[in-house]
Amino acid sequence: MAKLTADKIQSETNVAERRLDKKDITKAWFKWICLSNTNYNYERLMASALLVSFSHIPEKLYPGDKEKKIEFMKRQMEFYNTEPHFGSIINGLALSMEEEMANNPSVTPQAITAVKTGLMGPFAGIGDTLWQGTLTPILLAVAMPLASQGNLLGPVLYCVLMYAIMLLISHFMFFTGYSSGKEGIENMMASGSIKRLIATASTMGAIVLGCLANSYVTCTSYLQIPVGDGFIDLQSTLDSILVGGVPLAVTLLAWYLMKKKSVNSTVVLLVLVVIGVVLGATGLFGGTAA
Amino acid sequence: MQISLIQALLIGVVYYMGFVGTPWLIGVLGSLSCIQKPLVAGVLVGVILGDPVQGCIIGAAVQMPFIAYIFAGGAQPNDPGLAGTLGVALALAANLDPEAAVAISVPIALIGTIINVIRMTLDVSFVHMIDAACEKGDMKRAIFLHIVPPQVLCFVLCVVPVTLGCYYGVDAVNGIITAMQGRPLYTLEVIGGLLPALGIAMNLRTLDRPGTLIWFVFGFIISAYLGLGAMPVAIIGFVIAFFYVALEMRAESGDAPAARALVETSSSTSAVASEDSDDDFE
Repeated sequence: MAKLTADKIQSETNVAERRLDKKDITKAWFKWICLSNTNYNYERLMASALLVSFSHIPEKLYPGDKEKKIEFMKRQMEFYNTEPHFGSIINGLALSMEEEMANNPSVTPQAITAVKTGLMGPFAGIGDTLWQGTLTPILLAVAMPLASQGNLLGPVLYCVLMYAIMLLISHFMFFTGYSSGKEGIENMMASGSIKRLIATASTMGAIVLGCLANSYVTCTSYLQIPVGDGFIDLQSTLDSILVGGVPLAVTLLAWYLMKKKSVNSTVVLLVLVVIGVVLGATGLFGGTAA
Repeated sequence: MQISLIQALLIGVVYYMGFVGTPWLIGVLGSLSCIQKPLVAGVLVGVILGDPVQGCIIGAAVQMPFIAYIFAGGAQPNDPGLAGTLGVALALAANLDPEAAVAISVPIALIGTIINVIRMTLDVSFVHMIDAACEKGDMKRAIFLHIVPPQVLCFVLCVVPVTLGCYYGVDAVNGIITAMQGRPLYTLEVIGGLLPALGIAMNLRTLDRPGTLIWFVFGFIISAYLGLGAMPVAIIGFVIAFFYVALEMRAESGDAPAARALVETSSSTSAVASEDSDDDFE
């Protein structure tokens, strides 16, 4: 009897195509960006977030079909980890493949898994470079001088711009993933437009980081070395060689240790502390003008 | 100034709201990207302690070592959120100047990494409960397990240490700062001034392209000698990057000999960068 009911539902499914409307997709996007890291864990990272963001989908694709729903739920619980905004292109794609599979059995669950695991790494790299590596420091660098003077507009401006830019990007990425399909995204990756975006953002990011290093890595000397009747001012001597030479050298040292020597960031932090202690405690740097 | 228990609790809640993964302000966008930043948390802590403007100034200073901070794949080098809440609160209560505030915030940020490790380890147990809910097709339970227990856990892990730290830490910080007047405090300030180098170096490593280091030095020098701020440098940087990458890609694709010639003759830097594969200029 139960099998009969299931067969009946199956035949109905074939007659009427199960389709998602725009509201379903928007809901999946919004739930995803809100909940992506809510249960962040070392074992499967964002897996349960993907499931919960699709929680309204089984009723649309498999109404009344418990078995299919269970399969659907278990499929979403595979290891998943990407950058939540740029990476939402993968969620959009996975959603469109789920929809396709509900109507066309030739799409296999393995294909969805392959797409997810194949794209999550690259998009995590792209997303973190553009979002945390480029956009965030630029917005912070614009807001911090205002905030340093006690102007509350600095932090407000930072938050408003951050929300506006990243919401637009993640919405765009999710819907692009949903509508362009697997081939579309693979073409996009291969066409060089993504490569070009990353290259441009990274180059610009490196230049901006140079500016930030000059503004925010500070090490000033107030030491006066007595020579004969007068004094040699250590800082102006250093400045005559290269303005900001000490901060530049320290930053390059930190980069060198991490990139070339693969030193852990915590160890680099300790190295910086030791350098600071040596430069500060000896009286070479720091203090106040005499 | 003393921090009352209610104020300490509220500062703990600010720390929780900025913790990676709290859903309340549109996920990581509101937490990791906004409230976790000392720039933003500093204002909120200032509001709680009755001085938003000073909170803003201290917050901006404490933001400096973390200006180029990256949280990726669950690896957290340090915790700007704890520096921006507990660090700013203690600095405000002890009346520290911004440089000393940076110096006390940095060790605090290191301690914060422990909280994330505990959280991501304990959250694993909820994943297994969600697996069980999936076996039964129970979506409501899966949603509940994804949101409520991990967030209750996260709330406790975040609020308790910050509340205790704010409530009991002020006298300790006051004592330490008084004892350290003069050269020891100058030394802390030197350390605070050097620490942004860590975030910037980590960020450079993430950008990781041939030529990154050369562009970095270029940005440093135009800022040091022309005195340009971040916004003009960002715009100049974009213009340069746009044309540089266009030329580089045309030269790479090899379908435009003229572009290749231009790259090779006009800029030795780009020629080195595009052909360099042994990482010397990364």
